[in-house]
Amino acid sequence: MFLMRFTERAYVDYSEEDVRQSFRSSVRLTFSNSHFDPALGADLYNAYLDEYEYAEEVGFDGLMLNEHHNTPTCMGAAMNLEAAILARTTKRAKLVLLGNPLPIFDNPLRLAEELAEIDMISRGRLVSGFVRGTGIESWATNTNPAYNRERFQEAHDLIIKTWTTPGPFRWEGKHYQFRVVNPFVRPLQQPHPPIWVPGVGSPETLIWCARHHYPYIYLETDPQVTLDLTEIYTEAAKEAGYEPGPQNFGYLVRVHVQDTDEKAYEVGKGFLIGNAGVGRVPLPGDFMAPPGYNSREGAKRIVDQYKRYSLRPDPLYGGVDSAGWEKVVESNRVIVGNPDTVIKKLREVLSVVRPGILGVWTNDGTIGHADTMRCLALMEHDVLPALQEMGKELDLPGPFEQAP
Amino acid sequence: MTAYEEHFVKVAGANTHFLKGGRGQPLVMLHSIEGNLGWRRYHAQLAEHFTIYAPTCPGFGQSERPPWLETFADLARFSLWLLDELDLKNVTLAGHFMGGWLAAEMAVMSPHSLDGLILIDAAGIQPQQGEITDIFLHGLQGTRQLAYFDLQQIPEYEELFADKPSKEEREVRARNQETVVRYCWKPYMFSPSLPGLLGRVHVPTLIVWGQDDQIVPLECGELYQQAIPGSRLEILPQCGNCPPLEKPDEFTKLVRNFLT
Repeated sequence: MFLMRFTERAYVDYSEEDVRQSFRSSVRLTFSNSHFDPALGADLYNAYLDEYEYAEEVGFDGLMLNEHHNTPTCMGAAMNLEAAILARTTKRAKLVLLGNPLPIFDNPLRLAEELAEIDMISRGRLVSGFVRGTGIESWATNTNPAYNRERFQEAHDLIIKTWTTPGPFRWEGKHYQFRVVNPFVRPLQQPHPPIWVPGVGSPETLIWCARHHYPYIYLETDPQVTLDLTEIYTEAAKEAGYEPGPQNFGYLVRVHVQDTDEKAYEVGKGFLIGNAGVGRVPLPGDFMAPPGYNSREGAKRIVDQYKRYSLRPDPLYGGVDSAGWEKVVESNRVIVGNPDTVIKKLREVLSVVRPGILGVWTNDGTIGHADTMRCLALMEHDVLPALQEMGKELDLPGPFEQAP
Repeated sequence: MTAYEEHFVKVAGANTHFLKGGRGQPLVMLHSIEGNLGWRRYHAQLAEHFTIYAPTCPGFGQSERPPWLETFADLARFSLWLLDELDLKNVTLAGHFMGGWLAAEMAVMSPHSLDGLILIDAAGIQPQQGEITDIFLHGLQGTRQLAYFDLQQIPEYEELFADKPSKEEREVRARNQETVVRYCWKPYMFSPSLPGLLGRVHVPTLIVWGQDDQIVPLECGELYQQAIPGSRLEILPQCGNCPPLEKPDEFTKLVRNFLT
């Protein structure tokens, strides 16, 4: 099993009330950046980089980063910069970027160059994830959401061709046109760095990933929903002529460890200042999915799947705490506890979802640096070795053990 | 209420829906972002004097969108083809908000096809002082609140807004919104070249504006008036972005006076 550590690198100094006061009470897109203090931001960026370096020390196989815009829930608005720093300051762990939101880039060639540099500086440790971005990314960059999927696919095709076909060549696409495609630097990994795709279950994306043999990383999806989505991927993979296994799937879940269950339960509440709406304040649905962002079929499926599992504690855009913290924890949507408790709960989740990649989202919201470092230390001695054993016992090979 | 009929016509291979009713010289009325809201009171009033055509733009409601039709300029070309298919020559073209922008684009593309132009709280020109309100950012409910001076003074309020939309209506609404996004996302609701092009529109032009329009500032009505030679601007007090719905009697009176 491939174990990667994740945090959204949240900005922390704001309240639920501040969010309520923003335009349409949204924590993303319209929450004013007048709430941001760059001096605190400087401390936080450095603390987050320290945490990632320590995550490598304690034994994680991968350091997962992500990118969002116009939001205090994720300061990684220029994720590739953080990856470039970690490429130089870490030595072993993969740098897993989940991912670059392709549709918002007007120049995918620049992205191909940045990623190639990161791959070379890290000496071939880049995992290049690509995403459509949430609707917020379209809003924040004024990218027409009706063309999100077209731009995603075309930018992907252009980048892969740029990495794998000797230049110069010409690209005359619908959304991108370049006279001379010939970036001189190319990635170290051949034919190109691994591509992974995270998401919450657009059927078109699952099918597209299956056809490309790209692992799909479920972002905190309900376990039962996840199994349904895996069927979509599996069917498309079979049509493409292969049988997918755990190496084709990843699962991201919030996991916070402390010395005692009681402390973890209390500290873990920091997650509730979260990315899917703060506390019980929901995100406006049309911010996350503006008209045209999802196909009609995809939009219906997503709404249906959330309706069918109406007991799930995190209904669409409802706010992390919409079902109450106790229920969130009980249903393993956020896993908190001492090392033994966390190992036991993760076994329950892994047995059902069966991913070959586990994303461990250790901290966010108001969970502080000291608690995070303690969480990582406890993972080193108890949790990570147990998870590696569990991966073998449950036969969950990662994509570096078995090709997806 | 004056009778009307529902028709479909093929335009560039795409099934295109329209309503037709009344008698007299043709008056084509182009809908706004909500799509074709059906045969409304203002249609019926005007149909007593004119033959009203109320088409549904491609990608809205029951009208198909040819896959290549993705820009506002192509929407205007397509809509001129629709006039051809209906054998409508020398018509008066009226349009509201997005439909007003469409009418203006059609007028600059083919000024000789028209006998008259009526622009109602029309998008299309970038204001110099204010902004055209971002309807996408405000969402459906927020936009509805901003679009009217007083929702309660809409004579057809019950018919239009009182009932919760059915599943089918929600589906149509979602498709309409996607189509507006496709055509109007960026630049948002204006064409930088339109003011320069409007100088060649020499047909009689009436510009109608709700004085309290919170979507397209009245300033845009003034800019249209400055850009179109000989045009007249009429301002309706205590009225928002939708005079045909909010003040239908006053609106249709202005149109009748203009055309007769």
